Amino acid sequence: MRNRLRVMPRGVTGPEVRFGVPLGALAFALLLGAIILAFAGNDPIEAYRTMFDSSLNGWKAQSRTLALATPLILTGLAAAVAFQMRVYNIGGEGQLYLGAIGASWVGLALPASTPTPLMLSAMLIVGALAGACWALLAAIPKAYFNADEIITTLMLNFIALSLMNWLIFGSRSFWRDPRRPVPGGKRLPESAIMPSISGRLHIGIIIAIVAAIFLWWLLRKTSWGFQIRTIGDSPRAARYAGMSVRRKTMAVLALSGALAAIAGVSEVSGVTKGLEPIALTSNIGFTGIIVAVVARSNPLGVVPVSIFLAAIATSGSRLQSIGIDVEVVFLLQGLIFLTVTAGEFFVTNTVSLAHPDTSATGSPPTSEIKAAI
Amino acid sequence: MNDSVVILSIASAIVASTPILFAALGEIITNRSGVMNLGIEGMMLMGAVIGFWAGNTTGSLIVAIIIGGLGGVALALIHAVLAVTLRVDQTVSGLSLVIVGSGFSSFIGTSGEPSLLSARNGVDVTPLFPSALRDLPAIGPILFGHDLVVYLGVIAVITATYVLNRTAVGLALRAVGEDPASADAAGISVTKMRYIATAIGGFGAGAGGAYLTVAIVGTWQNGLTAGIGWIAVALVILAGWRPWLALIGALAFGGLNGLGFTLQLAQVNVPSDFLKMMPFIAAYLVVIAVSASPNRARRLAAPAALAQPYSREAR
Amino acid sequence: MAGEAPHLKVRNLTKSFYGVPAIDSVDFDLRGGEIHGLLGENGAGKSTLCSVLSGLYRPDSGTVSLDGEAVQFRSPQDASRHGVGMVYQHFRLVDSFTVAQNIVLGMHKKQRPRSMRQVESMVADLAEEFGLHVDPTASIWQLSVGEQQRVEILKQLFRGARILILDEPTAVLAAQETDRLFEAISTMVAKGHSVVLVSHKMAETMAYTDRITVLRRGVNAGSVTTASTTPAEVARMMFGDSNAAERTNYDAAQQVGEPMLSLSGVSVQGDHGLLAVDDATFTVRRGQIVGVAGVAGNGQRELQEVIAGLRSPVSGTIEIAGTNCTSAGPKQTAQAGLAYVPEDRLGVGLAPGLPLEHNIVLKSYDRSPHSRRGVLSDSAIEKTMNELVEKFDVRGNRSGMRVSLMSGGNLQKAILARELNEDHQVLLAAAPTRGLDMAAAEAVRSHIINERATRGVLVFSEDLDEIVKVSDVVLVMFKGRIVGSFASDELDLDEIGLLMTGSGAEIASTDTPTATSTRAGS
Repeated sequence: MRNRLRVMPRGVTGPEVRFGVPLGALAFALLLGAIILAFAGNDPIEAYRTMFDSSLNGWKAQSRTLALATPLILTGLAAAVAFQMRVYNIGGEGQLYLGAIGASWVGLALPASTPTPLMLSAMLIVGALAGACWALLAAIPKAYFNADEIITTLMLNFIALSLMNWLIFGSRSFWRDPRRPVPGGKRLPESAIMPSISGRLHIGIIIAIVAAIFLWWLLRKTSWGFQIRTIGDSPRAARYAGMSVRRKTMAVLALSGALAAIAGVSEVSGVTKGLEPIALTSNIGFTGIIVAVVARSNPLGVVPVSIFLAAIATSGSRLQSIGIDVEVVFLLQGLIFLTVTAGEFFVTNTVSLAHPDTSATGSPPTSEIKAAI
Repeated sequence: MNDSVVILSIASAIVASTPILFAALGEIITNRSGVMNLGIEGMMLMGAVIGFWAGNTTGSLIVAIIIGGLGGVALALIHAVLAVTLRVDQTVSGLSLVIVGSGFSSFIGTSGEPSLLSARNGVDVTPLFPSALRDLPAIGPILFGHDLVVYLGVIAVITATYVLNRTAVGLALRAVGEDPASADAAGISVTKMRYIATAIGGFGAGAGGAYLTVAIVGTWQNGLTAGIGWIAVALVILAGWRPWLALIGALAFGGLNGLGFTLQLAQVNVPSDFLKMMPFIAAYLVVIAVSASPNRARRLAAPAALAQPYSREAR
Repeated sequence: MAGEAPHLKVRNLTKSFYGVPAIDSVDFDLRGGEIHGLLGENGAGKSTLCSVLSGLYRPDSGTVSLDGEAVQFRSPQDASRHGVGMVYQHFRLVDSFTVAQNIVLGMHKKQRPRSMRQVESMVADLAEEFGLHVDPTASIWQLSVGEQQRVEILKQLFRGARILILDEPTAVLAAQETDRLFEAISTMVAKGHSVVLVSHKMAETMAYTDRITVLRRGVNAGSVTTASTTPAEVARMMFGDSNAAERTNYDAAQQVGEPMLSLSGVSVQGDHGLLAVDDATFTVRRGQIVGVAGVAGNGQRELQEVIAGLRSPVSGTIEIAGTNCTSAGPKQTAQAGLAYVPEDRLGVGLAPGLPLEHNIVLKSYDRSPHSRRGVLSDSAIEKTMNELVEKFDVRGNRSGMRVSLMSGGNLQKAILARELNEDHQVLLAAAPTRGLDMAAAEAVRSHIINERATRGVLVFSEDLDEIVKVSDVVLVMFKGRIVGSFASDELDLDEIGLLMTGSGAEIASTDTPTATSTRAGS
């Protein structure tokens, strides 16, 4: 008889497992990437060194990476806060667009002479509200009819995308700049633009990091977060303790939507400087979901994970100088997502070789264990 | 009369609906086994680039479709390993697949020598029926004007309906998607069924992507599918996981672009962006409506075990 | 009927889970053409024995032989090929499929008729033959529970089962459906099938079986011929010797005070559409421990949940310490003074993936000193945890460890610690010592008894010994009704045993304690 693999749920999940497995997965992805690069006729070591130099070596490279990480941190937080309650917000993309639309409306509608702090605050508030409302379109049906939020948030992404495209490409809306030959958004006034820290890096990164710390505090240190974590772990225990699952579902999705929307505000105000649909549609919302998974829904973990993924993305431009196509970075990102997702299994289970006899009968259903004790 | 705008736009809607139909049909089979694969967009891109390459190399439409389909299968099997064997979250795994597919397809499309980006379409897409039939008034271009793959789509719908509803394999597949524990108790291998169904889903998406590049667009660009995979996801929900309704829905969605053009000629101004929203608004509303009414849910709703990993121990 | 060679012969069968034997050297004979009752308390090993017989588990040791030939079933399908079929209490039917589709699901090509129509007509014939009437074209979700059960039986007959194992088939049935089931079983036996009837219920076992085997704590406590035994003897085999249980903590000087928990005419709808609790009326007073005895599944869980505010009754009122708490919700119920130790520790009583300090303040996290203005005080929470860990002797916790890794006894002490630390007037404890080792069980019991000094206590347990040990008043629950009430000085264990299995009820009370069938929701 052949031996079979025996899978057992892991008893204690220590830090060495929680951090070790994702890091191992990462190494595995880089190894796979190296093999593919070698097959495509490139020198993987040179490629990786170039990638490192162009994304993490020196302040200039680092600031480029951080600029790219800014929106990822925010959409990652958006997904993470929902995951904490085992609610899926796949709608980060759409909420980001709504944030961008709302913020650019404020930036264009208020007088250009408005002081920057006031202007940026107004943009953040309106953008966040727009994203929260968009998320509520999924949260309310979820709370009252238990409508699957995965599907509703997903569908709302594409509705938001078409809406944004229509504002710029399909109509002479308030947002569109009539003077430009190729349709594009009106440029935001100087007062509506996030002050730069260094090159492309703007104060959005500070907002993102503050948001991560705030969220960590909210989830770990407040009674509100206590309820979220309880519901996420066991809705039945939460109900037993008298918590309202329905109200929390709506609150958490609204908060999640607001965070994703702030990513949109940050992009519009700090990067695109106007409502530019093409620049805004680069899977930032979807990537945020994977960031949250890799960070195990920990707000503080979202920051380094985002920076790492951003580093890979930034490094692409320089690769061309050594004759490797930019697309390699997408390939690498994809491989990392897959291996890290697969790693999740090994965080919660152990796998070992088992003698065929013991594995054949498996373990009994839980009721039987109880009965047996 | 066969040059009239209405007839031409109906004919082009049929062609445009074919990739959506293949992808949606595959996803219906996958979903019916209880596996949710949100990675259609990624699998389509993969099929599109590989199919385009195969078409260029061989000049054959059908080879392009089959090779493209296998490209989709390759990605789908990754999903099956993650979602069925490793039981990771199916939503996350599916989304990863989208990003992997778009990354990998761009990589393949760019790094070939010569790059596929500059390649011309090497496949001659020829209508299946003789010109005598094609020239029939009105029904000629609509019914007889298309290439083989369009008709294969219809055959696939009939086959899928028959297999799902009338055969033992279909019964077993649906049982796995409705109630894996009962199916397991009846001696059906849940894992095997789900792997097969996921692979079929990948083939549908890959073949759809290949048809898109080879027969409709005629070139390869990065991110060429531009959301068609997501339309297929919406369509599966709208069709209530039934192949026949997916056929009708695919035709409707395939016709949306043409409809905008026709409406413009008729001086009715509906922005095309709103037409593009339609599938998603409809799917959004259907999900809510089904959830809100428990009775209708019985008939319309998703396979009961959709997106739930199955493990015998955790029963 | 007797005298034929045994159809199924089990010798020395042992099966352990994680080192704990669920059945230990069990012998069991099923003769051809008999109805054999298999009785025992929950956890006595009945399901394990049946699961081995039906091919779901492989035994650690021992032999099974069929018509004198040794057999080893590798899977339920394998058992089915040998003519052994099992009908589980929880049906294995696909809801959205038709009866006929469910019946052929998973059958091998060669055994299966070609067309569904053929299957439908064969099923209809089979149903006619055995009196198991059900429409083969109906979908499962359209059927009543009784009809679904018929489908399960038909499924086994269709596959050629000669030996049918029915796992508590009447647990989910209304009275009329029960009668029809036993008619069908008689028909099967008349046609040469043998039936193993797993049951908790004395009356039906005595009325319908030819022989009875009782399992107690994993061993065979005896096999008897039904005609030559009495309910009292069987009850004694099931629950043990009546002298064994002694009241260890009775205090005659204990004064009984005002009502702490009063139920009046409370009825609750169960998950199957039947009335799970039927007209429950009783009072728990200060200084009193009321114990509810009964075999699991007779409405205890629903009764607990309705008292705790997790369910709404269809009629009746519930008062806790003078406050009307009918349908009040868990929070108000707790505020009115109910401390609740639920039956399902890890599923309901605790958030299993979170650490102990989180669980210890699960009901007081939003109050001073654990939080101020919505901000948690980690130090205050830790202080509470350390105090309670000390006071209740909760062991095995490590910082940040998920609570589910602690042992059952420590989990239960943690829940008790949390619940008793709240302001409360009455303690509701369900299966408080189930699965605990002796020392932990004793500790939990002494906490419960201490409560009596100043408050009221309501305890549910399947362990009759325990109920008798701690209670001042014993109530017996059967099929959703309170069928007996005994003060501690007039306890009659034999009669309680009979009431628990339903046979005493028919003798004792004038109105038969059958749950009203409503069939709502079908």
